[in-house]
Formats: sequence, structure tokens, C-alpha cells
Amino acid sequence: MHIPDAFIPLNQAIIYWIIALIFVALAIRWARKELSDEKIPLVAVLAAGIFAIQAFNIPVSLGTSGHLVGGALAAIVLGSPFAAVFILTMVLIVQGVFFGDGGITTMGVNIINMGVIGGFVGFYSFKGLMAATKNLPVSGFTAAWFACFIPSLACAFEMYFAGTFPLVPGLITMGVYHAAIGIIEGVITVVVLYLLISVRPDIVAYKRRVNG
Amino acid sequence: MNNKTLIIAGLVFAIIIGVLAVFFASGDPDGLESTALVIKGEKTLFGPLSVNPGVTEGANGGFSYSAPLPDYSMGEKFGHLGQIVAMLAGIIIAFVLVIGVSKVVRKISEKRKPN
Repeated sequence: MHIPDAFIPLNQAIIYWIIALIFVALAIRWARKELSDEKIPLVAVLAAGIFAIQAFNIPVSLGTSGHLVGGALAAIVLGSPFAAVFILTMVLIVQGVFFGDGGITTMGVNIINMGVIGGFVGFYSFKGLMAATKNLPVSGFTAAWFACFIPSLACAFEMYFAGTFPLVPGLITMGVYHAAIGIIEGVITVVVLYLLISVRPDIVAYKRRVNG
Repeated sequence: MNNKTLIIAGLVFAIIIGVLAVFFASGDPDGLESTALVIKGEKTLFGPLSVNPGVTEGANGGFSYSAPLPDYSMGEKFGHLGQIVAMLAGIIIAFVLVIGVSKVVRKISEKRKPN
């Protein structure tokens, strides 16, 4: 879902950057409050892991592949949608600046889609589903699926405003592909959650809250 | 598992995934690229590519940026080894960047509030 520079005209890209920077500022405020000296390397290793998993494209048939984005994962593990904004911003900077994966002018819109929308959708749908079902795999999978699917629809609208995709075919095509890619997002999110809970339940935010 | 072990285990895990990605990651276009190809008529919704896609030229009026390690590689010449080096570099840069930014953010806030 990494939008390259060529897909969005510069004036629109700047508007997305401005919106993104507001959320990045809030994410930095979150980091300032939440990150202790102990926690900083744990967050860093989560970012490094998300970077690595993002590079692993898995075929979803349909002539298409997809990879974990990690917005839901970051938000669930660290207990805040701003954690997702913080980590995804860092990952997108590394990807855009060093690897040309996602544009520079479009980094703002990519932060909005994957960090902000992915993080908020992932976090609040997980919270709601956990309250309703008390079932970690179902809640984690579904939240992560939505955290992939909803940003892809936002992306289709942005592509429409940019004049890059027509609206309805864009929505349908992005929706179909990311409905499939969302399965990857869901499975990896649940697997990583279980791995983390099995070794260190105390650092997984939702576990910490449950255990007092 | 203490923090130090967890961090080392996490980095090792990231490196293993990253190296595996060099050899096993799918080269198929991702969801957005696929959509662009469908819109351009170069791919059907449920099918593979019908033609070899060209470079997408678009709306941005000429802004272009050349990343030092495009497509997570060091170019054809260095092959898989270059891709592994690029991947390791990315993992380390991501790790160091988050630590650096977090420490700077904390330092600034400590200066503001001395308690």
C-alpha cells in the first residue's frame, strides 16, 4: 500500500503531509510520556521486526502479493494507536529514504493510511472485539484485517482525488486485493501477539491491563 | 526472558525474516500496484499480468528521488548478497532510528520539566 511519489500531485501530497505531521506530533507526545529507558529498545526492536516482516511479500493469488503493515500489531502491543503512528512513521522513513519503497512527497499520506488509520482502526476494533468476545485470536485477527482493509479504501479515495484511479473500480480493486492481504495481516498479528505473550506477557499492553 | 535477551531474540528474529525475504518473498505486484495495473488494463482483477508493466509515470509533475538502495538491493551486480546487506542495513537503521528519536524526545522533555 506504499504510495510512490508519482501517484499523487504535489499540492495534495503537501496537504496529507500537514495532516500527518499533526498525528506525528501527537505520537511524539505519546513517546515522551510512555517510553522509559527500559522500553525504548523494546519499541525499537518491534519497529525493526515490523520493517523486516514488511519486506516479506507473500502471494495472495490473484496475481498479487501483500505483506504485514503492522499498525494493528504495534497499537495492540503498546496499547495506543499513537504507538502505531510512531512506529510506522519510523519504518516509512527508513523505507522511503533508503529503499525507495513509498515516496518522499507521499510519505505523509502513507503515514496517514498505515500509521494513523491502520493504528486507530486496529486499536479500537481490537478493544471493542475483546470486550465483546473475550477471544484474543478472533479479536486480533479481525482488528488486523480491518487495519489493512480500511486504509486500502482510504487509499482508493486518495487515488481518486489524485486523478490516478477512477473511484468505483479503484475501490473495488483495492478492496478485493486488501481483503486477501488482510488475511496475512491478521494471521501474522495473532502469531506475533502469541509469541510475545508467551515470552513476556508483561510488555503486551492488553495483557498487562487484564492482569492488573 | 529479560529485556536484553528479548531485544537480541527480536533482532535475530527480524534478521532471519529479512534474509528469508530476500530468497522467498513474492515478486508479484502488491495490492496498490496491482490495482494500478488493473486500472491501466494490464492485469485482470483475478488474473496474472497480461503484459510486462512499464514504469508508472504519473501526476507528480517531476518530483523524483533516487533511494540509495532501491528495491532493497544494491543493484544487479551484488545480487542476493547485496539484498541481504540492504535488508540488514534496513533492520539496523530502523532499530537505531527509533532509539535515537526516542532518546532525543525524552531529553527535550526532561529539559522542559526538570522533575
